[in-house]
Amino acid sequence: MKRKDLPYLPFAFFRLFCKPEWHAAIEGDLIEHYDRNVDTVGPTKAYWKLILDVLRLFRPGIIRSIHFKNNPIMFRHNILLSLRNFRRYKTSFIINVAGLSTGLACVMLIFLWVNDELSKDRFHVNGDRLYQVLENRVQTGHVITRESNSGRTAEALNTQYPEVDTAIMTTWNWGQSKVLSVTSNGTSKDINIDCLYADEPFFRMFSFPLIEGSASNVLRDMTSVVISKQLAISLFGSPADAVGKTVDIDHASQFQVSGVMEVPEESSRKFDIVINFESFRKANKWLNLWEATAPQTLLMLNEGVDVEEFNRKVANLVRDNSNINVRTPFVRKFSDGYLYGRYEEGKLAGGRIEYVRLFSIIALFILVIACMNFMNLSTARASRRMKEVGIKKAVGARQGSLAAQFLSESTLLSLISSVVSVLMVVLFLPQFNLITDKNLKLDNLLWFIPLVAIVTGLISGSYPAIYLSRFKPALVLKGKLESMTLANMARKWLVVFQFTISIVMITCVLIVYKQIEFVQSRALGYNKNNVMIFSRSGEISKKQDAFIDELRKIPGVITASASSHDMTGHNGGISGITWPGKDPEDRTEFERMHIDRGFVEMMGIELKEGRMFTDNADNEKGNVMFNENAIKYMGLKDPVGKVLDFNGDPHTIIGVVKDFNFESFHEPIKPLYIVMDQRSAGNIMLKIEGGKEQDVVERVTRFHNSFNPGFPFVYRFVDEDYKDQYRAEQRVADLSRYFASLAILISCLGLFGLAAFTAERRVKEIGIRKVLGSGDARIVLLLSEEFMKIMFIALVIAVPASWYLTGSWLEGFQYRIELQWWYFAVSGLAALAIAWLAVSYQTIKASRINPVECLKVE
Amino acid sequence: MKKYQLGEFEEVVLLTVGILHGNAYGVTIRDEIEKLVKRSVSVGSLQITLRRLESKGFLKSTQSGPEESRRGRPKLYFELTAYGKRALEFTRQSRNNMWSMLPRLVLRLQ
Repeated sequence: MKRKDLPYLPFAFFRLFCKPEWHAAIEGDLIEHYDRNVDTVGPTKAYWKLILDVLRLFRPGIIRSIHFKNNPIMFRHNILLSLRNFRRYKTSFIINVAGLSTGLACVMLIFLWVNDELSKDRFHVNGDRLYQVLENRVQTGHVITRESNSGRTAEALNTQYPEVDTAIMTTWNWGQSKVLSVTSNGTSKDINIDCLYADEPFFRMFSFPLIEGSASNVLRDMTSVVISKQLAISLFGSPADAVGKTVDIDHASQFQVSGVMEVPEESSRKFDIVINFESFRKANKWLNLWEATAPQTLLMLNEGVDVEEFNRKVANLVRDNSNINVRTPFVRKFSDGYLYGRYEEGKLAGGRIEYVRLFSIIALFILVIACMNFMNLSTARASRRMKEVGIKKAVGARQGSLAAQFLSESTLLSLISSVVSVLMVVLFLPQFNLITDKNLKLDNLLWFIPLVAIVTGLISGSYPAIYLSRFKPALVLKGKLESMTLANMARKWLVVFQFTISIVMITCVLIVYKQIEFVQSRALGYNKNNVMIFSRSGEISKKQDAFIDELRKIPGVITASASSHDMTGHNGGISGITWPGKDPEDRTEFERMHIDRGFVEMMGIELKEGRMFTDNADNEKGNVMFNENAIKYMGLKDPVGKVLDFNGDPHTIIGVVKDFNFESFHEPIKPLYIVMDQRSAGNIMLKIEGGKEQDVVERVTRFHNSFNPGFPFVYRFVDEDYKDQYRAEQRVADLSRYFASLAILISCLGLFGLAAFTAERRVKEIGIRKVLGSGDARIVLLLSEEFMKIMFIALVIAVPASWYLTGSWLEGFQYRIELQWWYFAVSGLAALAIAWLAVSYQTIKASRINPVECLKVE
Repeated sequence: MKKYQLGEFEEVVLLTVGILHGNAYGVTIRDEIEKLVKRSVSVGSLQITLRRLESKGFLKSTQSGPEESRRGRPKLYFELTAYGKRALEFTRQSRNNMWSMLPRLVLRLQ
C-alpha cells in the first residue's frame, strides 16, 4: 500500500525534545494515528491532529532533560583562562573593553531615551478608551490636520453618539500663561503659571493623581480649581494647607482651591492649575459658534467600541451640526498623540516616533559595530590560540565545550565592559539630560544592563567560538595553518560594514547641520534680531498707546509696537474673505495679523507696492494689506485700491508686502492679511540696540514693573523663539553628532587592533624586506594598502546609502539645501583620514623595527 | 493504604490495559478509552500516565520488534502486574464499600 509521506516538521520537533529512550514507541503511535487519520478524515485534518498531538506531548516528563556539559570545575577553568588571556594580551583586552563599553553606554543612553518617549501619556488607567478629536480641513486645495475643534464638539458627542462615555472640552496646548496671586497678611505673591481649562469630568477620565480632593467633585463649580503639588508647596507650604484657600488669576477673578494634583513626569502636557471650562466658556462667547475653532475635545469611549466604525460616524459631526462641509473630524488615541503627531494631506505621516525609530536603529548599529570589533580581534588572534585548541582537542575536549569556553570568555568581557559602561552612563547622564531636555534616571535600566551584557557577549562570541573550536587538532599541532582565507574575507567585510556605517553617519550629521544652519541664517523677509516680545497684561491693555510711547523713550530701545502675531508659527486666521472670482466652496484660512502703529516698519518687512499704514489708527479703519502670496492666491491684478469683503465688512487694499516667513521652514508661506487693530495686538514687541541687551532689558523691566505692578515681567526674544521651532531638529543633530563620533571611535579602535595584529604577523616579512633594502615609507605603504582598499569599498557603498537617507530627510522641509557632491567627499575623506591615523601608528611602529630584533628569534 | 492510591485517569488506564489483555499499546489503549469512557485522550497525557504507572510498578512493558504497519517503529505493549491487579481490586472494594454506605434517600433525591 502506497502511503503518504510523513510530514517532516512535527516529527523533527518531536525528536528534538522527546526523551531518547521513549522516542521510538511514541513515534510509532503517532505514525499509526496519522496514517489512520489520513484515510478517514483526509491529509489536512490528519496533519493538524498530528500537530496538536505533538504539542500536547511537549510536557514535563516527556521532554528530555538538558545536560549541562560544563560542570563547575570547567566553568572555573574557563574563567581562569579568560582572565589570564586578558592579562597576557593587554592591548586587545583594552581595545575590546573600550569599544564594547562605549557601545554599551550608547545603547543604554538611547534605551533610556526611547523608553521615556514610549512611556509618555501611558499612565492613564482608562488609557485604551481615551481619545482626542482631530479635524481634517480642506484648505487651498490641501488637507491640513488640526487638533482644534469648535467649542460645542463635546456637547454634540455626548448627546448624539451613544458610543461616547464622556466627552469634554479643554483649552489648547494645555497651558495658557496666567498670573496667579495669593494675598496673605497683606502682602501679595505673584507667580506665572500654565493654566488649563477643562470640563468637570476631567479628573474622572484622566489619572492625574489627586493628593487632596476626590476626582468626583474637585471641579464641581466654576470657582473651584485644582493646583499642582509644586504650586501648593511654594504658595501654601503643603498640599493639605492649600485646600480651601483663595487664589487670584490675572488680578481679575477669584477661585477656591478644591484639590491638589500631581502632574507626572510621563505626562506629555504640563500645567500648574486646572479650572472648570465653564468659566472660560462664560468669558468667550465665540465658543458657541461652530465656525470658530480653538479648544480641544477629549473623549472616553464605552468599552468595546469599534474605533474605525466610530470614526466613520464621527466624520459627519461638523456637517450634521452646521453648514460647514470642509471639516472632517476623527479620533486618535490620546496616548498616541505624543508619538504620532505629524499628518500630511490628512494621513498620518509620523512624528516623534520617527526619531524613536532612528535612534533605536543607531543604537543597534553601534552595538553591532562594537560586537564586530570583538569578533574581528578574536578571529585575528586565532593563530595564537591554535595550539591551545589543538591540545585540548587531542586530550578529548569536544567542540561544544571549546565553544563554551570562548563564549564564556566573551561574556565575561562584556560583563566587565558593562560595568565600565554603567560608570560612563552615570558620568554622562546629566549632560545627556541637558541635550535631550529630559529627566532620565538610571534605575529604569537595572533589568536591562545584565540582559544586554549577556546578549552582547553571546553575539560577539558566537563567530569566534564556532571558528576557533572547529580547528582540526592534527593539522594545528603540526603547526600547519589552516586555510584562513575565509576568515580573512569575513574580517575584511566586517570592517567594510563598520566603516560604511561610520561614513553614512558622518555624512548625515554634516547634512543635518548644513540644513539647520541654512534654515537659521536664511533671509526671512524680516529682521528677527534684537526683538523683544512679551504678552500684554493688566494695565497695559487699558493704556497701550501710553505704554508703547513710554517704551519708545527708553534709551536703547529703537522703537516699539504690538501685533496679534508672534512671528513664529500658526497664530490663527479667518476664512471669511471674499474676492471677485472666489469659489464659494473655498474656505481657505488667511493668516491673521492685527497690528499696532509702525509694526510693519519695525520688523523690516518690505513693501512691494502701495503704501504702509500711517500712525493714525482712525484713518486706517477698513484698510488692509496682504502679502504677495495672498494676492497671487486670489489672482488679483493691480490689487491696490480694490475693496474686498471681510465677513461682511468692506476693506480697501492699501498695499502689498513682500512674502516673509512667519512659520517654520517645514511649511510653505501662507496667504496673510494685515490690519490695524490695537485691541487684538496682544504681543508687545520692541526693537532694541544690539550689543547692550542687558542694560536695555533691565530698564524695560523696571519700567514694566512700575507701569504694571502685580504682573511678573516675562519676555522672550523673537530670534530665540525662531530657533525653538527647530529645537527637535537641533536636538537630533546634536545627538547624532555624539553618536556618530562614537561609532567612528569604536570602528577605529577595531581598525587599530587589526592593524597591530597584521603588523605583528608580518614582522618577519618586514625584517627581510628591510634587510633587502626596503625603506620605511615603502613598508608603511605596504601595510596600509590593504586598509585603504577596505575604506574605498566602504566609501562606494556608503555614498549612495547616505545620499538616499539624507535626501528623504530633506524632503520634509519646504525650504532646503541642495545635496552637493562635496558633502560626501568631505565625509569620505574625513573617515579615510581618521582610519589612516588609526592604522598609521601601528604601521609606522612596525616599519621602524630593527630587522635584527625580529629575525633572530625563531 | 496509601500505596494503592490511584488517580481517576490512572484507574481508567489500568482497567483498559487489563481489558485489552495482551494487545495493549498506545494506539489501542487510546481508542479503547475513547470508546468506553467517551472522552478524548491526548497522546501526551496517555503516555505520561502509562510511564507513571509503570514506574509505580502497576504496569510492565515489553517492546516488540519493528512493525511494518508502523513504518518500522516498534510497539510498546503494556500488561498489568500482580501489584497493579491488587491496586485495582483495592480501589474497587473501597468504592463498593462506600456505595453500600450511601443512604437510599440521597440516591432518590437525585
